[in-house]
Amino acid sequence: MLEQIFEIFLSVEFYVAIIRMTTPILLAAMGGLLAERTGIVTFSMEAMMLMGTIAGVVGSGLSGNVWIGLVTAMIAGVAVAMIFALMTVTIGANQIVSSVALNIGILGLSSLMFAMAFTTRGEVVQTTITVPSLSEWKIPLLGDIPILGPIFFNHLPLVYIAFLMVLVVWFILFRTTWGLKIRAVGEHPHAADTLGISVARVRYLSLVFTGAMAGLAGAFLSIGTLNTFQENMTGGRGFIAYTAIVFGKWQPVGVFLGTLLFGAADALQLRMQTKGLPIPYQFMVALPYLVTMIILVFFVGKAMWPASYGKPFAREGK
Amino acid sequence: MNTSPPIQDIWQRFLERSFSILFPILAIFGAFAVSSLIIIAWGSNPIEAYSALLGGAFGSIASWATTLTRLTPLIFTGLAVTYGYRSGFFNIGAEGQLFIGAYAVVWMGITFPDWPGWLLIIISMLFAMLLGALLALGPGILKARRGINEVLTTLLINYLVIQFFEWSLRVDHITRGFEAPWTFVNWLGLKDPTQPYPKSALIPESARLPSISSILNGNFLMSIFGEAEWYQSLLSTPALSRITLAPLLGVIAIVFVYFLLFHTTTGYRARAVGVNPEAARYMGINVGRTIITTALISGALAGLAGAMEILGSQFRVIPNFLLNAGFEGIPVAMIGQLNPFGVGLSALFFGALRAGANRMQIISGVPVYLVFVIQALAILFAIAGTKIDIVAKLRQSRTTRPAKTSQPASEIEVPHA
Repeated sequence: MLEQIFEIFLSVEFYVAIIRMTTPILLAAMGGLLAERTGIVTFSMEAMMLMGTIAGVVGSGLSGNVWIGLVTAMIAGVAVAMIFALMTVTIGANQIVSSVALNIGILGLSSLMFAMAFTTRGEVVQTTITVPSLSEWKIPLLGDIPILGPIFFNHLPLVYIAFLMVLVVWFILFRTTWGLKIRAVGEHPHAADTLGISVARVRYLSLVFTGAMAGLAGAFLSIGTLNTFQENMTGGRGFIAYTAIVFGKWQPVGVFLGTLLFGAADALQLRMQTKGLPIPYQFMVALPYLVTMIILVFFVGKAMWPASYGKPFAREGK
Repeated sequence: MNTSPPIQDIWQRFLERSFSILFPILAIFGAFAVSSLIIIAWGSNPIEAYSALLGGAFGSIASWATTLTRLTPLIFTGLAVTYGYRSGFFNIGAEGQLFIGAYAVVWMGITFPDWPGWLLIIISMLFAMLLGALLALGPGILKARRGINEVLTTLLINYLVIQFFEWSLRVDHITRGFEAPWTFVNWLGLKDPTQPYPKSALIPESARLPSISSILNGNFLMSIFGEAEWYQSLLSTPALSRITLAPLLGVIAIVFVYFLLFHTTTGYRARAVGVNPEAARYMGINVGRTIITTALISGALAGLAGAMEILGSQFRVIPNFLLNAGFEGIPVAMIGQLNPFGVGLSALFFGALRAGANRMQIISGVPVYLVFVIQALAILFAIAGTKIDIVAKLRQSRTTRPAKTSQPASEIEVPHA
């Protein structure tokens, strides 16, 4: 048994798999983090991602160009995010309830759209559709380094974008006025409002970013790895991204580590299943959630999440 | 400034009541109207599709059997969310509590198959409630004592429970004859050792909720009506064997939760904390204890949802045996306007959509996925409608009170001044 575990940990493929499993979660989590810091619960990332998967396939399939597929995926993610923003920011409806509604609805709509785009009416949706998909970008020189090259420098372009996003989001949050506004709105919307910051505008724009990133994350799953669409293709990765944000205590680097943990656990449990190890793989799947729970209970004080978390904002006397 | 004449109060109360019934119905009609555009885009006739949907949900005894089966767990999870939400405890852990409830019932059924059926049914239901309540206890305590957001904790527990459940389906259930000390984990497993697939054995027939067929076949009714022709035709209707007492227990639960919420001090405290925890504290209510009690009740109700599904419909567990019914408790509660009777009606709406979807696909060619879209639109319209509240606008123009903000529960409840 130990031998098999060593075998897993010594193989390059395992680390390649970790990076690949982390990417969609990381993209969504980094997108979600901006909106989360404005005080929005991004439980609806699952819906944005799922819309991204189908829009990526439709865009890539109809245009024959995978890059157009990526753009349509981002637009679709933003579209879902805007419905969410309309419900929660403008109308002020409960964020969790709106999210649950969107998650249910997009689950149906994505499968409907796939059937509409690639089958004729009434035909059984069983045909395997393949559309143009992304291919790896090997970074010159760096990609040739033994072991490290294949692990870090021979991936789909979206992988590099995902990891760069950690820096980008950190920079936006802590080194730009925009980030200052985001944090102000999240911590004290009324004070921000008094200072002339439009709470609604900040939340809307952050959700645009969230939607675009979640859409990309979805596209990574559909036209990045499998080049087709399956029902409920995201399989809860949007929720995992949300959990990673909690794990990282709403800090970019922490969230990044959280997504790595979930990615590693996922890669490990798949390998443990194929090797037939006697350790229950469900334990590996559950482990990151358990760690998140422990962090939440023992290391996250009340002050760790944005003070206005989950609450709609209404200007007084209006 | 704030003292409006009592007659206006009564009028407003009346308006609020009628709007709270009108909004969800309008929302559902709106959802159907918008979805008909999708059907047209698909190339089918919306009227044909919807009549097939209705027929599949209510057209025959068989469709009623499916509808009732689908709506029963939703009643319980809807009630769980409603009771929690009314007290400011947003239980999104109903999914995990439902799974553990199902686990409890199957575990009891396959571990003690020799017990008398009625005893086994009662004990399994209590066990399901206990485990469901225990799952909610942690988040309740953490919210009450440490102020940790219950949405996060209940959500995380869902995933832990579902993985535990998946694990239990893959571990042979052995009750006696342990070979080594560590095989005691097999005691927790549910898998049927004689099967290669991850599924449990069926619970004993005596431990299932009686169906209408089995009641009709009972000696007492047989001796009275046994000869009548209509009775014989009822006996030969196979769908009646799929309708069990579970939906009836659902109705009893609705009445019970209504009574608990509006006619007991427990419910009064819960609602007071939900409306305004600070005010409740001044009134001498122990807010922390109320939150914990609420969590326990909410968890127990969600646990029962899983119990009902096993005792009344599936009799065993398989992976994903009832996916999302826990999460759907949230929209069921919202469309039901957080009223127990409303929950019953909106569970009926959800159950009917799911039950009729297959017939819609067969007859009009519109994929079953459409019902998800209809559900989502109905929820969005309903909660948007509640927020853009005409009554609230009216009230605002009459008085100069500033708009209420934040705190989810206070959006719905009228404060007891």
